[in-house]
Amino acid sequence: MPTGDAVHIVRRRFVGAPGPRVAIVAGIRGDTPEGVRVAHKVASLLEQHHDALRGTVDIYPCVNPLAAHRGERYWPFFSQDLNRCFPGRLEGHAPDRVAYTLTEEVRDAAQVIELRGANPAFSEAPQAHVRARDTQAADLARHANVNVVWARQPGPAAGSTFAWQHPNTLVLEGGTGNRLQPKVGVALTEGVLNVLNVLGVLPDAILPFHWATITRPLMVGDDRVHRVRAVAGGLFLPSRGVWDEVEAGDVIGEIIEATAGEPIETIRAPASGRILAMREQPVVLPGSMLARVVVTATQESA
Amino acid sequence: MRDRVVYQLSAPYREPYTLRALEFGSGGPTVAIVAGLHGNELNGVHALNLVASALRMARLNGTVTLIPVVNTFGLDQGTKRWPIDDNDINQAFPGDPQGSAVQRIAFALLEATQAEVCVDVHSGSPLVDEICQARVPLTGREVGLARAMGLPMVWRREGDRLEATGLVGAWRERGVAALHVVGGRGATLDLARSRQIADGLLRLLTEVGVLRFGMEPGKILVDATRRGVAYHYSSFGGFWVPEVAVGDRVAAGHLLGTINEVVGGSLVEEVRADRAGVVVTMRSYPVVHARELLVRVAEPT
Ligand SMILES: [Zn+2]
Repeated sequence: MPTGDAVHIVRRRFVGAPGPRVAIVAGIRGDTPEGVRVAHKVASLLEQHHDALRGTVDIYPCVNPLAAHRGERYWPFFSQDLNRCFPGRLEGHAPDRVAYTLTEEVRDAAQVIELRGANPAFSEAPQAHVRARDTQAADLARHANVNVVWARQPGPAAGSTFAWQHPNTLVLEGGTGNRLQPKVGVALTEGVLNVLNVLGVLPDAILPFHWATITRPLMVGDDRVHRVRAVAGGLFLPSRGVWDEVEAGDVIGEIIEATAGEPIETIRAPASGRILAMREQPVVLPGSMLARVVVTATQESA
Repeated sequence: MRDRVVYQLSAPYREPYTLRALEFGSGGPTVAIVAGLHGNELNGVHALNLVASALRMARLNGTVTLIPVVNTFGLDQGTKRWPIDDNDINQAFPGDPQGSAVQRIAFALLEATQAEVCVDVHSGSPLVDEICQARVPLTGREVGLARAMGLPMVWRREGDRLEATGLVGAWRERGVAALHVVGGRGATLDLARSRQIADGLLRLLTEVGVLRFGMEPGKILVDATRRGVAYHYSSFGGFWVPEVAVGDRVAAGHLLGTINEVVGGSLVEEVRADRAGVVVTMRSYPVVHARELLVRVAEPT
């Protein structure tokens, strides 16, 4: 730092009997404390039981500490999105070097898990994201105690994200940005521990829950996730909550005019299923995303 | 001149977002010039307004479309990004008419700039001062157009990631000649640089045949590829004190600036030129972290 003090990015390493190495990374964006807390909870359990471990677990609980310290998404100063800096450069400035170091750190890991929170404008159900072509990751994600496993096609920025750097990376997210939701934190913590169990790193005996309580997720691709967007600008008032069941055409919220308060648009579910994400931040423009609805029923193929 | 509303988007608590284009002349050749995609980059906004006042009095052979500000909401608040949801419009291309606000704006902007020659004008970051430059591909029609602009620097380079997802990349995808112009510093108005950019744009319009001005050619100090540009980074964090300014000529070994302790001011590092050249980029904000770009020196033509 310019004033001479240093910022440290912490790695906590838990080494047991010979076995696979798993890397767990949280806090790439500074507004996702949920992932950071899950990393801490997993670490504290591993600390109590590290003699029972098979393999090595490296936990990076908060890789963007300067942003986390301000509760902001981006690396400060140049306002850089660390999750657009990968694979990074050793000779670059601080965020590029952090990205580079992290990419190198996880290179020979057998499994990488990234923990996120949601975008602060939304509330999200616990969910796992994997790349559409990573079938091994999708299989593993079944055990992550999430409501949905979403196999996504890469967007234009995918190549510069952390999750793209290592094949079969599992991304877990849920809750709301800059907030901690007790239920989501517990669900994702148990999910990570269960995944460690499936990988053979953690024995059954020390799991603090019964395997049968793990949620069986809905496995979906992009075709089963519908985005709901605003037509009018105004204030969005949701009338349904995350993971509520909806029928196609059900009212899930309304938009009111921002200064007079009259209703100007009724928002309806585009498909039957459940609400995967719901907008919490009410100010919207035409085209702003309001909700995601995931189709629960498997479509019959024609 | 026609002042045309190209696109509108209703917005809570305020008047709708309005994208305006100033159109001059008719027929071909066609040129489109855009500024203010980033709301805190103001030299381009002023430069386009200077071009507009010149075009009002000129006889045109062809069509010129000027869009002086795209990110009006960001400009109102002094932010680079689109302030609602904090998105970068210049990463939303090619856009989507049914997508988010920035995707809709990007789509409308591409529709409004269907021209044979397209220019996107930016400033440097608010922390960094840049010589006025046209960034173009290594080969192709853009190189000749950039030289005709006569800005102090022509930088022939392979397109970077930001260019690829931005407006310039979207234009190149369409197969038209697209120039990326950068000059000065964000969040400030530099009158001399704005005039320099405006003159460059008028020379470009002359080169394309839209105007018949007898403009003096500009003085190109640097016509370089990446190999001809030296990047100097900080080795330590501290207080950066520049010893030269953008546009200065320096000899090899010349002191470019020093990094000093924030408290006490003791010398931490001297940064010296590794070759003779022209200072084309200067970090102007003094507080620096380790491995940040401080100065670029380019070999002269
Ligand atoms: Zn810009």
